[in-house]
Amino acid sequence: MLLRIARLQLRNDAWAEDAVSETVVAAMEGMAAFRAQSEIRTWVVGILKHKIIDQFRRRSREIQIGAHEQAAEADTLEQLFDEGGHRVSAPLEWGDPESQLVRSEFFAVLQACLDQLPAPLARIFLLREWLELDTPQICKEMKVTSTNCFVMLYRARLRLRECLESNWFAAQGGRPHG
Amino acid sequence: MARLIINCRQAHWLLSRERDAPLRWSERLALRLHLRVCDWCRIVRRNFAFLSQAARRLDR
Repeated sequence: MLLRIARLQLRNDAWAEDAVSETVVAAMEGMAAFRAQSEIRTWVVGILKHKIIDQFRRRSREIQIGAHEQAAEADTLEQLFDEGGHRVSAPLEWGDPESQLVRSEFFAVLQACLDQLPAPLARIFLLREWLELDTPQICKEMKVTSTNCFVMLYRARLRLRECLESNWFAAQGGRPHG
Repeated sequence: MARLIINCRQAHWLLSRERDAPLRWSERLALRLHLRVCDWCRIVRRNFAFLSQAARRLDR
């Protein structure tokens, strides 16, 4: 599980394994202090998050955003709106997060949707929404302008929204509105 | 964005940006006016909030 998350974030198996093995070593060193399983889990995930951020900082020069990836991106999203900028189809009401977010199948679909995103978009989305770094920090790390940063997050969210909607919520009997 | 009447595309953009940085007051106002008349964008706003909650629980 840890490796899967790290891999998704770093999009590089060797770096992901580095992050996870550093996490395991750090975890072993501190294990004695914990009794409850859940405490250990939270704590190990916490370490992993730090290790991923470390790796990310170390590698940020190697991670560059391809201009071609961004251009291809724009087309997919334009189809959501007509010429006047109106949405062409109704979004689904997704319902109560509490009832959906206990289902492991939901997270399998979310993982698959993240895998389908262009790597830079998946990375920036996870830095923002999973690791909860603030945006100026992310832009600095990724060495992109803040506008570019906002645009990437916007594209990531829209793509994920579409992907979840067609692969999860539509099958769950969500109703289009209006 | 100085205009107060915005379309869905612009509203979607602001709905994403408001999750990353504070909007200017004119943007906040334009978004609020749009959301008042647009059910679809209100749904998308809830979808984005849902997505944030889901992402935070990826490691559970």
